[in-house]
Amino acid sequence: MISNYNKKRFLVIDDQPLARDALRTVAQTIGAFAVEFASNYQDAIYRIRNNVPDIILCDYILGDGRSGQQLLEELRRFNLLPDECIFMMVTGEQSYEQVVSAVELVPDDYIIKPFSPDKLVLRLDRIVAKKNFFASYYKEKRRQEYAAAIAILEAHHASEAGRSYRFEILRQQAEVHLASGNADSAEATYRTILEKYEFPWARAGVARSLRKQNRLTEARQEIEQVVARTPHYFDAADLKADICMAQGEHGEAQKVLDEAAKLTPRNYRRKRLLAEAATLSGDIDTACAAMSEVIANDTMPGAISPEDRLAFARSHVNAGDKISAEKVLIAIRDAEIQAMNLTEQGSFAALLAIASPEKGKIRFAGLRPALMVAELNPTARLDVVRAALSVNDNELADLHTEQLMAGSEAKKAFSSLRSQYALFGREMEFREIQRQVALKRIHHDDADPGELI
Amino acid sequence: MEKVLDILVSGVHDAKNQLFFAESVIASAEAEHSIALGEARYAIEAAANRLSVALSAYRLLRHGAALAITPTIVGDLCTEVALAQRSHLAGNGIALDIDCRVVDEWALDRDLVADMLNNAIQNAGRFARGGVRLSAAQAGEWLVLSVEDDGPGFSALPPRRGTGLLVAGRLAGLHARKTRHGSLHLSNGGALGGACFTLRLP
Repeated sequence: MISNYNKKRFLVIDDQPLARDALRTVAQTIGAFAVEFASNYQDAIYRIRNNVPDIILCDYILGDGRSGQQLLEELRRFNLLPDECIFMMVTGEQSYEQVVSAVELVPDDYIIKPFSPDKLVLRLDRIVAKKNFFASYYKEKRRQEYAAAIAILEAHHASEAGRSYRFEILRQQAEVHLASGNADSAEATYRTILEKYEFPWARAGVARSLRKQNRLTEARQEIEQVVARTPHYFDAADLKADICMAQGEHGEAQKVLDEAAKLTPRNYRRKRLLAEAATLSGDIDTACAAMSEVIANDTMPGAISPEDRLAFARSHVNAGDKISAEKVLIAIRDAEIQAMNLTEQGSFAALLAIASPEKGKIRFAGLRPALMVAELNPTARLDVVRAALSVNDNELADLHTEQLMAGSEAKKAFSSLRSQYALFGREMEFREIQRQVALKRIHHDDADPGELI
Repeated sequence: MEKVLDILVSGVHDAKNQLFFAESVIASAEAEHSIALGEARYAIEAAANRLSVALSAYRLLRHGAALAITPTIVGDLCTEVALAQRSHLAGNGIALDIDCRVVDEWALDRDLVADMLNNAIQNAGRFARGGVRLSAAQAGEWLVLSVEDDGPGFSALPPRRGTGLLVAGRLAGLHARKTRHGSLHLSNGGALGGACFTLRLP
């Protein structure tokens, strides 16, 4: 036994009392001194938030439509699970193996019931050895020292001790490349993995890297393969939807997300994506319903962000329900508004100006100088264009429209922009902006080869 | 048909929870009273293993099973199989020898391959005189896992294949890399002179 488990704090998560008792007994048999329980998803999050255990033994099926995998994803999403903490999934039959072999986000290991205390110790010892092996890397990754993290992984890859962890080393390398914005290196690394074996998560990694490089057609081809082969790999569906939206195929994105969301009804990250796709495709009811479900049910503290409230207000605006939109917006506290970044402030002011001109117009006008020079994300730009058109500030509207049309998200925004301009009788002006952007692009493309020589 | 599978899956799931509870109670009694009840635990795990095999057989024959391939350290796989089988074999006067010469990770369905090796060792244990060997080696682009014994060997070659072997052969074949597929070979002789069960995985 490498580790001394009697100093470790265990958390056992299982909704079945019998299985919970069995897990506790096994933990105690291997010397665990402190064993805590959680009987459901919420309880587990609460306990882990308060005090991160050393070792988590979590059953895959948690009841109430929740799964251990969902818990794991949520813990990672909120950064509640340090790399040093061991997360072991416990499962009764094979369905979880199918999940773990496909997805990108995996637990440290999984173990099939029934198992002996000896077997658990063997598995835990291995995880400890692996975590020790990667310890210096985790440190650099946490400090976001990406170059140092990559250097450690490369040294590991060349080492004899690293031979047992080749796939994990490559996988981590690819993730660091992606995190540090080095999408072409990430793509190359995922392809190295795929030469060894066709792992769905690695193929999805290629698609993700291509998406980051804005090579959308190729990204789409790669992710279609993954979705077709592993339909239960829902993150792949999310990625496909994201790529579809970037390609301007909002209806297809919505269809993909709708199917995945039906099978994962309590995944609120996916519901947000669904709302986004529905908004873009003009399915106002679906967008509104999805966002209201998110706001009502994503009970994790801090889970509902200003962005979510803005999305909810936006869906009301789209539905023509200005009163509900206004209600959502004025319920945001002043402190929250002040803490917003410029993108969110832009959306907030724009949406309020649309929902309630008497309350919002002044704020929107006050923000105008900043909005004239700001780099906003596509969603906020769309809000600003819309509000600007509604207050006859055509200069501001045209500026953001031009920037949207010239950027990599042009296809995503195109149909929304066109319908907004049509609404205010400015189709001709919209076409003119389109023409100007196209001309500049041709000009730019002509200039490029010259620069290369 | 999906419905039948769901019923079977949930039944197996419940049964395994019960078995797990029983095993944990036994393990705790062993620790508390310093008694050895390894054989009772072995029987429980064997029962759970049979349920798994029966379920995978059903899945495979009726639905076309998909494997769950993960990178696996071959040495760890051998150690785990040894942990499950060694003391039971020792109780029957048979020594289990592990000879793993593969350092690298291999992409395979860990639990399925472990099940197959566990079954092969159980079979070998029934006929062995005094020794069973589990070995792992890399032969070119193949991983070769063998279970050999020093018993009389298969009485006929190829032996009559029961459900277990039939399923094992199919599952081995599902392991695929590009155009290469895994396979199961049964022979006599080998290093120990008895029966020899060999899995070749790409």
